[in-house]
Amino acid sequence: MSLSSLVPLIGVSDVVIGLSLGSRLFLIAVGLSLIFGVLGVLNFAHGGFYMLGAYVTLAFVTNVIDNFWLAAVVGALAVGVVGAVIEFAVIRPLYDRVDADLDQLIVTFGFVLIIHETVRFIWGSGSYSVEPPALFDFSVSLGGSSFGAYRLVVVGLAVAVLVGLWLFITQTYFGSLVRGTSSDREMASMLGVDVPRLYTGVFFLGSVLAGLGGALSSPLQSTSPALGDQVIIDAFIVVVIGGLGSMGGAFVGAMLIGMMQSLGPQFISAGSIAIPFLAMVIVLLFRPEGLFGGFGE
Amino acid sequence: MSATTDTGDRVREFGAAVADGWTRERFGLLGAIGLILMAFGPSFQIYLFTDFLVVALFALGFNLLYGYTGLLSFGHGLFYAGGAYGIAVVLRDLTPVFADVVGAGVAPLVAFVVGGVVGLTLVVAVAVPVGWLSVRLEEIYFALITLAFGMLGYSLIIQDPAGLTNGTDGIIVLLGSVDLGGLSFRIGARRTYYVLTVAVVLAATYGTWRVVNSPFGTVCKAIRESPDRAAALGIDVRHHRWMTFIISAAIVGIAGVLRAGLASVASPGLTHWSTSAIAVIATVIGGATYFSGPIVGAFIFLYIRWAISRFPTLEAYWELFFGALLIGVVLYFKQGAVGGLLLARDRLLGDGADDAGGTEADSTDDSRSDDARTDRGDDS
Repeated sequence: MSLSSLVPLIGVSDVVIGLSLGSRLFLIAVGLSLIFGVLGVLNFAHGGFYMLGAYVTLAFVTNVIDNFWLAAVVGALAVGVVGAVIEFAVIRPLYDRVDADLDQLIVTFGFVLIIHETVRFIWGSGSYSVEPPALFDFSVSLGGSSFGAYRLVVVGLAVAVLVGLWLFITQTYFGSLVRGTSSDREMASMLGVDVPRLYTGVFFLGSVLAGLGGALSSPLQSTSPALGDQVIIDAFIVVVIGGLGSMGGAFVGAMLIGMMQSLGPQFISAGSIAIPFLAMVIVLLFRPEGLFGGFGE
Repeated sequence: MSATTDTGDRVREFGAAVADGWTRERFGLLGAIGLILMAFGPSFQIYLFTDFLVVALFALGFNLLYGYTGLLSFGHGLFYAGGAYGIAVVLRDLTPVFADVVGAGVAPLVAFVVGGVVGLTLVVAVAVPVGWLSVRLEEIYFALITLAFGMLGYSLIIQDPAGLTNGTDGIIVLLGSVDLGGLSFRIGARRTYYVLTVAVVLAATYGTWRVVNSPFGTVCKAIRESPDRAAALGIDVRHHRWMTFIISAAIVGIAGVLRAGLASVASPGLTHWSTSAIAVIATVIGGATYFSGPIVGAFIFLYIRWAISRFPTLEAYWELFFGALLIGVVLYFKQGAVGGLLLARDRLLGDGADDAGGTEADSTDDSRSDDARTDRGDDS
């Protein structure tokens, strides 16, 4: 028995897997955080959107054209359209209610049930997997361990989404409208911003991000109707730890949880799945604004 | 002598009230007859109805916090499971001890009662700190922290660091046979368990009714309408929410104890947020502003699910129906099913409805004006 099997050894592959899990979580959580930061809506159905993105990608690859990247874009846009329709038809009428927050949470929870069953109706209860794009379908050996090259691609794409979103919010005209509306909706409205349209636009963008996350992660996970329910809870943990409405926070929170999921079991056997929830409780109690401040930071 | 006259008067008064149109007394009498008749129904129907009673109590406890105080919890499954695991552990580990102390005949009954008390105590012991921490937050943040506490409990039950909960399999609950020298029965038998459930649920519902219609309940409603105004009137809002949280958890804990006996197992799924969501669905569909809302909602939930399950092609997709129903109710008819029934009663019976009188009508009138106020808010 060698020494390395006796001490918990952090392999390069564990780190890469942790980072890719984190990237996947970031892609789910960032849209959730964006929507909450601007609209004040906690979208319970966001995990369902993510799952829908994976399924549409799958359907496109198997039925239309076997091109993963094209399928991912189609998946993301399809989910964006679904999100925009839901916002327009169901969430918009609730903004002015006294207890709007809770009503919106309950309504989006209704869509958790609907999306879950719709997906099951169309694709059945079985689980599917998508082949990674051929270009990256090989494994990398590094430091005595190996991992799929596609994992690195997902990490890179997550970073690209973070940078792109940051540039979009801080550098573009639409981004300044989003920031303005997020900090004072009534003032923005009086200055001539079409707030309802902007809200639908932001909800569309957030949904696209969820769909993109599901599409890009589809080669890394098995896609089944239970996927949405699993990821939404992880996404809640990430956005709470990072700060509801903070995109940088979502990134750091996601990487933290991803690494914890990858490395945690090697150090703590009992109670390891409880730690993220414990962290969520502690952050909510002592820093409800999250570890990394408010919107856009 | 006077006592019997009083009783006679009361009986006569009750009889008159029953004869006088569709009064509360008549509904009460019919309900009692229905409950008794149910005990002679087919076995599966008894099971379904017992299931309904347990879910109704679960939702009723949840709604004390949501409908009456305005706090939406997504973690009440924690207390549902707390009651179930409390009694399950006692039945598993202590039944032989009871058999030694009180004899094998009564031991199962004693174990059941003690288990129930332990389950309830466990739930309150958990709810005191969890509630104290949770009520520091409001609205979405309260929903999130209760969700986190529920899932924390779920993780701990599954991973079972203390070796008590038997991980993902859960604990089998065996309700034994009682033998009281001549009178012998099985607690877990459908009919026996039904009678037991009816007794416990009625008592717990009556207790909740008293809480809601006490000064304490009035303060709850004041907080729901406006926490700031309640605070300005000198109410310690946070403390009051904490107390409501504990009472609410205790009621849910009782439902959890009954659930364990009915399902014959205490399983980790009870703590999962999807179980907590059942209380949310039932309450919203039934009408959160009414005392009877969660009960009617639980009835709709279980019986529509059952009706759907009669059609094999639809069976798998009952969640779709409730998702759509939930959205429809929140969007267009927040008074829920009870609000709809009251509206129908007013339309159909016209003036006769005024005779219903009593505190129930008063409180529902209150709720209706509340809804009117929210509706007006929607238009602005």
